[in-house]
Amino acid sequence: MSTSTTARREARTRTRRAPSSSRRLPQGLRAWLRALPFMGPHLVLFAVFGLIPAVFGIYVAFTQWNLVGDPEFIGLDNFRVLFDTDHAFHRIFINGLWNTILFVIIGVPLLIGVPLVLAVLLSRKDLRAANVFQGIFFVPGLISVSAGAIAWNLVFNREFGPVNHYLGTDISFTTTQPWAWGTIFVLTIWAGIGGNLIIYRSAISAVPQELYEVASIDGAGAARSFINVTLPSIRLPLLYTTVMTTTASFNVFAQPLMLTNGGPADSTTVLMMEVRDLAFGGGPSIAGVASAMAVLLGLVLMAISAIQFFIMYRRTDV
Amino acid sequence: MSDTAVIETDQRAPGRGGADGVPGHPFPGAQGGGRGRRRRIPGGSPMRSRIALIITYVVLAALALIWLLPVVFSLSTSFKSPTEFAFEAFRMLPAQWVADNYIALLNDVAGYPVLRWFWNSMFISTMHATLTVVVVSIAGYGYSRLDFPGKDTLFFTLLAISLFPVIANLIPLYEIVARLGWVNSPWAMIVPGLAGVASIFLVRAFMAGIPKEMDDAARIDGAGDFQIFFRIVLPLIRPILIVIFLFAFTGSWNDFLWPLIVFNDVEQMPITAGLQLLQNMLGAYDSIGQLMASAVLAMIPTLVLFLVAQKYFVSSLSMSSGIKG
Repeated sequence: MSTSTTARREARTRTRRAPSSSRRLPQGLRAWLRALPFMGPHLVLFAVFGLIPAVFGIYVAFTQWNLVGDPEFIGLDNFRVLFDTDHAFHRIFINGLWNTILFVIIGVPLLIGVPLVLAVLLSRKDLRAANVFQGIFFVPGLISVSAGAIAWNLVFNREFGPVNHYLGTDISFTTTQPWAWGTIFVLTIWAGIGGNLIIYRSAISAVPQELYEVASIDGAGAARSFINVTLPSIRLPLLYTTVMTTTASFNVFAQPLMLTNGGPADSTTVLMMEVRDLAFGGGPSIAGVASAMAVLLGLVLMAISAIQFFIMYRRTDV
Repeated sequence: MSDTAVIETDQRAPGRGGADGVPGHPFPGAQGGGRGRRRRIPGGSPMRSRIALIITYVVLAALALIWLLPVVFSLSTSFKSPTEFAFEAFRMLPAQWVADNYIALLNDVAGYPVLRWFWNSMFISTMHATLTVVVVSIAGYGYSRLDFPGKDTLFFTLLAISLFPVIANLIPLYEIVARLGWVNSPWAMIVPGLAGVASIFLVRAFMAGIPKEMDDAARIDGAGDFQIFFRIVLPLIRPILIVIFLFAFTGSWNDFLWPLIVFNDVEQMPITAGLQLLQNMLGAYDSIGQLMASAVLAMIPTLVLFLVAQKYFVSSLSMSSGIKG
């Protein structure tokens, strides 16, 4: 940091002394000029579509704004409204937040646990066609969530779907609870386990066989050696996927929108749906309040990532 | 280490000889003649392990069927005739295979231009992935091969800022895109994603494995940065650029929330956003087949990409957590 500052100061004084000769430019500046054609395009894109929105997004949360005129600074009012139990926005916010947290609490363990179990099953050395199975489990992740949702909507369809037909039931899955949440989790797990599965599988295959042999000699069964050998050996991939899966899950939006449209009775309306409705919905835009919600959600996300890193590193590195 | 290799070959060889899907003896050691310590599954007797293997197959096969069900069933439904839904009992496969639903896509479906959506998506995803590769590869060269004061500070500052949750940026990002006049324009989906830092991180890490002596040698021969980049570095980083292209393409193809925000003109939408408008057709007997044909159309490009470039998807994911596959 300090070296670059001195370099820059040096650059300024030296250029003043010999402005015409580029050969006399200080090394630091020359290096920058040489590198700029390469990073320049990305730096411009990053400034416009990364940095400015990040700064502006926080500012908007402190304004009253309808996306049309200029944002008007109103201090903490948007946040006050969200926490004021008498206010209509408070009910919307708490409902969206609760449904999002519910999705995360149930969804993340499934998105970690299911692929972990599958990875262990696929890691048996005497299993054939492991890569075919892996491909089948991975592919839904490459299908757009709206197409996948339409497919599952059909599978769960009351009239035309195979589920009701084969079970001999007459359930309206997407419009009654707890089925509505059930369909959302089915779609989520179906589409979401592929990446984690591949990561766990390659991590497990990298665990030295000697460790299992030693555990076996010590009389450890399959479950024991999974807990005492496999899990500790793959703790970094576990941490990585847990953080990524949790942050992704807080952004849940497409599954409830496509399957249940937030119903029945707003019981699956998640925070992202509220943010979109408030900012870009049918009526006049309430971008300030929507931004305040988004910023709060962003803070929750960053806090959770930080806590996860802290806990996992403390527990594993002792 | 070499001992492990022996065990592996020993175990696979008899399995390969086994008839249709039934593996041979999973434990060569148990067939006599082998050393006792070759036993692989800890604590299990050969018999118990054989049963465990069969249970594993059953569980995996059942799950695989469930995983394939929605794709197979939408495919089969897209080939059913409209009358079948109204008049015939439930069938997994069509009573009669017809292509009517796909032919219908050539015209508008319920007033919606599905085919147009498909080409919109094709243009958006191809452009986005191509530009991503261009921007990322040259920036990666800058951050990896060139030295300038504050390089690492700059790069990790970018990385840190980019970790800031996307949700909080969504509304201002819309404002910027709107001011650029890109509402209802494919550029709204092509350009903002180019600001991502994660791919540069990947390229940078990949380039670190290429010896710098090659650059120096070329430099002595009088090559400039651009020549070194195009002639030496670019050909060597092709594998990682293919991975980045694939992920950029599928990411862009499957993007859902952002197109719902920046498109309100039905003609300009990508197909994934368009499907959201179509989905209420699910209740109607006469259009359900067309809806499924549209969904199948939206699945095809990324599935084809996967079939063509499977190993790139798998290997890049294996690497992403810092574990070599």
